[in-house]
Amino acid sequence: MTAIELKNINKDYGTGISKVQVLSDVSFKAHSGELSLVLGPSGSGKSTFLTIAGGLQRPTSGQVLIDGQDISRFSEKQRDEIRLNQIGFVLQSYNLLSYLSVADQFALVDRVHKGNLSPDRLEKLLQELGIDQLVNKFPDELSGGQNQRVAIARALYTDPAIILADEPTAALDSERVKVVGRLMKERAKQYDKAVVVVTHDLRLKDFADRIYQIMDGKMTEQPLNA
Amino acid sequence: MFLAIKEIRHEKLRYGLIIGMIVLIGYLMFMLMGMMLGLANENTAAIDSWDAKSVVLNKNSNISLSQSLIAKQDLPNLNGHQALVGQTPAVIERAKGATDKQTIQFVGLDSSQFIYQKKMKLSSGHKPHGKNQVVLDEGLKSKGYLLGDQITLNGSTQKYRVVGFAKDAKLNIASIVYGSLTTWQTLKGTGDQFATSGIFSDQKQTVKNKNLKQYSIGTFIDKLPGYAAQNMTFEFMIAFLMVISLIVITVFLYILTMQKIPNYAVLRAQGIPAAYLIGATIGQAVILMVSGTLGALLLMIVSKAAMPSLVPMLINWPLTGILSLALVVLGVAGSLLPVRMISRIDPLDAMR
Repeated sequence: MTAIELKNINKDYGTGISKVQVLSDVSFKAHSGELSLVLGPSGSGKSTFLTIAGGLQRPTSGQVLIDGQDISRFSEKQRDEIRLNQIGFVLQSYNLLSYLSVADQFALVDRVHKGNLSPDRLEKLLQELGIDQLVNKFPDELSGGQNQRVAIARALYTDPAIILADEPTAALDSERVKVVGRLMKERAKQYDKAVVVVTHDLRLKDFADRIYQIMDGKMTEQPLNA
Repeated sequence: MFLAIKEIRHEKLRYGLIIGMIVLIGYLMFMLMGMMLGLANENTAAIDSWDAKSVVLNKNSNISLSQSLIAKQDLPNLNGHQALVGQTPAVIERAKGATDKQTIQFVGLDSSQFIYQKKMKLSSGHKPHGKNQVVLDEGLKSKGYLLGDQITLNGSTQKYRVVGFAKDAKLNIASIVYGSLTTWQTLKGTGDQFATSGIFSDQKQTVKNKNLKQYSIGTFIDKLPGYAAQNMTFEFMIAFLMVISLIVITVFLYILTMQKIPNYAVLRAQGIPAAYLIGATIGQAVILMVSGTLGALLLMIVSKAAMPSLVPMLINWPLTGILSLALVVLGVAGSLLPVRMISRIDPLDAMR
């Protein structure tokens, strides 16, 4: 099932002679239960792709469809709600607040959801990710890998249909890359999530169900064994 | 409040320093106000204790009790709400023992009138009977004056016995010595040609004599030497301090919020509404301002207890409450500048 679809996306920055086209006629589908890898070098447009897919900015033209609705036409408040309820972000910088313990990172999300999130689900998630013993620790007391697992758990906590990850392995060694890659693939399969990872880290190719390449703003699907 | 409390608890040093700064600003304001009120009280404590609403003075006295003289023939028929007050500065000295001279305000009263009968509040002893007895401001006890002491006034040979000590007996920042109008006439050197300096009443008075004029107590107090200038000086100091503290607190909150923008951008990217983050920022400002103000109040109370009695300081709780509230409200208002910044955070910043 298609969880998110981008149709004929174009994105320009600037106007006139300073106009730069960052994405050119990009079309993309991410399916539930699959991990889609979007590869590309720095400046290729992959972060712009992710921010448009996540409703953080609007495309110049084209559609971003979630549940059949074009979220690129939504108001800022509506896009906030989509991000809060249907999209989980995992960012390069782990997106954890330094002054919140691991437990409080989840408490914050629960509070924003007005206490509607399941504590059992959280407990299970923490156990599965092997961070259930770290709940009283602060981010600066955790390793890079542990921080990334907390960030993934937080993204999954709200049970979103789509997980968008931006360079989630940027600061990790090869062993940790495998752990994070395996984790994300398992989450996609086990919980039927559409996981989209944008990265230039080729070590993640082993975990992908689909691989896309962005180069100079154009996206192409690559064969898995290329 | 969740984010606000968690952050303050985690960043104890940073927020401790900010609260410390607010404590010091608040403390300075409270102390200034306390001293302003203390000084103002020493100017008017006696008049306030008389509960007078109006005073009749000689029309050429420039609304000054010590410059006013009312001749006997100008004296109206007095009712039960009026009292003659003869006032003059004088120097008292103990007739025997240590000679610690004190400049005081001598206030002569008529024992049949309402100030003497109802308004003179004693902390010890009794009211003066006859022309050779006086009641001293209780503050003079600290200068060694005791019940039963014999004193002289302006170096004369006439001795007066101290028969009591009175509360709130201060006028023009000087201690009052209450005695008789006869003694006042002697000190003033007027003989019995003049009956009094002024006629105080707890009601509005009707004046028919062209040599006399009635004034409200508010007008009378404002014309006390240096009173209005002194109060305005303090009021301006407090107002300037309020403005400066508002700017300082706003700058602090602005810098703090600037530092949090990358975190807030990440939260915005995750769909956490700007209103939630604004609530956290305002909540944090409330916690900081209330904590700082409470700390300042505590410090003021301790300082008041430790301060020598010579320093006039008065805590007026209703006014202190209003000033505290103003400090908190202005501080929180200062947080509205960073709030604008939060509402404009671009979630895209989380990706940069």
